[in-house]
Amino acid sequence: MTVNNISFKTIAVFFNTGNKSSRLFSYAGLAVGVLLLLCCVQMYININELLKDRNPHKNGYDFLSVTKTITNDNMGNDNRFTNADIEDLKKQSFITDAAPLLSNQFRAKASAGDIIPFSTDLFLESVKNEFIDTLPPSFKWQPGQQDVPIIFSADFLEMYNVFAPAQGLPQLSESSIGAVNIVLECYSPDGSVTNFRGHIVAVSDRINSVIVPQTFLEWGNKTFGNRPPQAAARVYIKTTDANSAGLQNYIQQKNYHLNKDKTKFGRIKSTLQAIVAGLGGLAVLVVLLSVLLFSFYLQLMVSRSKDNLQLLLTLGYSPLWLSKTVAKKWIPVYAIIILLAFAGTALFQYSFQKNFIAGQDVLSPYPHFFVIALAAILFLLCVVANYRLIKKLLYKL
Amino acid sequence: MNITLKNIVPQFLEKEKIQRSQIWGQEHTFRKGEMIQIVAPSGSGKTSLVHFLYGLRKDYTGDILLGEKKLKSLTPPVLAAIRADDVSIIFQDLRLFKDFSTQQNIEIKRLLSAFHNTSKINEMAERLGIANKLTQNAGTCSYGEQQRIAIIRALQQPFDFIIMDEPFSHLDENNREKAMQLIEEEAKARGAAIILADLKPIEFFNAEHIIHL
Repeated sequence: MTVNNISFKTIAVFFNTGNKSSRLFSYAGLAVGVLLLLCCVQMYININELLKDRNPHKNGYDFLSVTKTITNDNMGNDNRFTNADIEDLKKQSFITDAAPLLSNQFRAKASAGDIIPFSTDLFLESVKNEFIDTLPPSFKWQPGQQDVPIIFSADFLEMYNVFAPAQGLPQLSESSIGAVNIVLECYSPDGSVTNFRGHIVAVSDRINSVIVPQTFLEWGNKTFGNRPPQAAARVYIKTTDANSAGLQNYIQQKNYHLNKDKTKFGRIKSTLQAIVAGLGGLAVLVVLLSVLLFSFYLQLMVSRSKDNLQLLLTLGYSPLWLSKTVAKKWIPVYAIIILLAFAGTALFQYSFQKNFIAGQDVLSPYPHFFVIALAAILFLLCVVANYRLIKKLLYKL
Repeated sequence: MNITLKNIVPQFLEKEKIQRSQIWGQEHTFRKGEMIQIVAPSGSGKTSLVHFLYGLRKDYTGDILLGEKKLKSLTPPVLAAIRADDVSIIFQDLRLFKDFSTQQNIEIKRLLSAFHNTSKINEMAERLGIANKLTQNAGTCSYGEQQRIAIIRALQQPFDFIIMDEPFSHLDENNREKAMQLIEEEAKARGAAIILADLKPIEFFNAEHIIHL
């Protein structure tokens, strides 16, 4: 059979293509829909990249620090949390869990050895492990252990880096801080000193303190402290929604203070992502509608050309060959549409990176690989869906 | 390839017509190279038989075998390949593209599976007296001219069988003879069989078998 030599041109005259405007509309719709979809996916990735390290959410929870508000009136009082206060916090339906931040009841001092001539008095705190956002497996201590793992607040690191140059100290990055050997000096009430080797094992965005394992602090308070266990001045709470009205009312009523800055990025991120996801959903709808419009156009074309197509099939033209030949005609059309939409997305990303974030290299000026893959998948989907529809229509004749 | 009919009975035909028939409900084999005349009065199912043989309709019981394969079980692409290369047809209702020229009507069949090159179309049209109609729309030609277009179209492809359903009904004696001669020549060139179904025997057809439907 020599049917393979025949091109679409030969049989094109037997197609009554008709209604050009509905075809062009469906092309335009597809281009807009794909452009919107690709931009949304790129934007979703951008938001994720830009707000990646500042997200204090962990498994859908917000972790917040609660203190008692210090005013001129209550300055002289004991503004620490009693056990009853903590139990009351835990009882609230909008609070999943609460844990006090224990602090050291002995004098502790840190020095960074000979390389960095730096020494300071230190306050140490500990909290339940599940409240720590960046918890490495090495964050453990048992009596007799010389090495004490420390989790350091990212804010403190930033503050240190601001003042370090003026003091002639080197600035440190998050990754290099782990290499600094800290000598942790713990003072007994009688003035004797016990040294430990401190290592910063992680930096935390959530807890602005110097965190050591709870076992170490309890042991230290017992060994070096001379006072009975003290109440905590700070409590961490775990909640599903930091903005819930119940929580706000409770905090206000108890005259507590909530550290909420940390949740702002998370809120902005999830809000932005919800908006972009909504737009993406709309884009999918536009794509589907334009594909539907195009399928109506194809059905119309086939039904207008029904007599001719039927006769071609009767004469021995294979419906399979005919489907492939007709479908092939639209491959360049889909390629151009998707490429245009992709070019639009690339332009969007380039101008977003250059203008909106001033060319910082936290974002690539080029579309993300996933966007490229999605464009390729959409192209394949269009081609396959088109071919299947044409095949179905022709086999039905 | 042979075509074998095995107890073909149309689902719509009266019993008495089936009992008198030499084809319905019988086993019969058409062999390549045979000249067969099927004589069928009106209402005996002539056109139905032609459509069954060409795979256009399946409303019958029994089987038609193309070689070893059951015609009913062939997929559309396989059936299309058989129509392009093995079995040619002239329909009673001609089935031309009415809005296209004579030349286009014939060429679209030749392009599918060419036995001749395109110059042969002119030669055949000349022989059958429609050379001056090649550029004219088929729909505007007379029925007799359209019959000749359909005949020339059917001769563009390779085939083992050419099935014809009242191909000369609107041709005068002179044109019948010319057309029949051309068809016989073309069938011989391919070693093919001619199956000609008509109301009565065609005088210019040298049939080896006459079968009454």
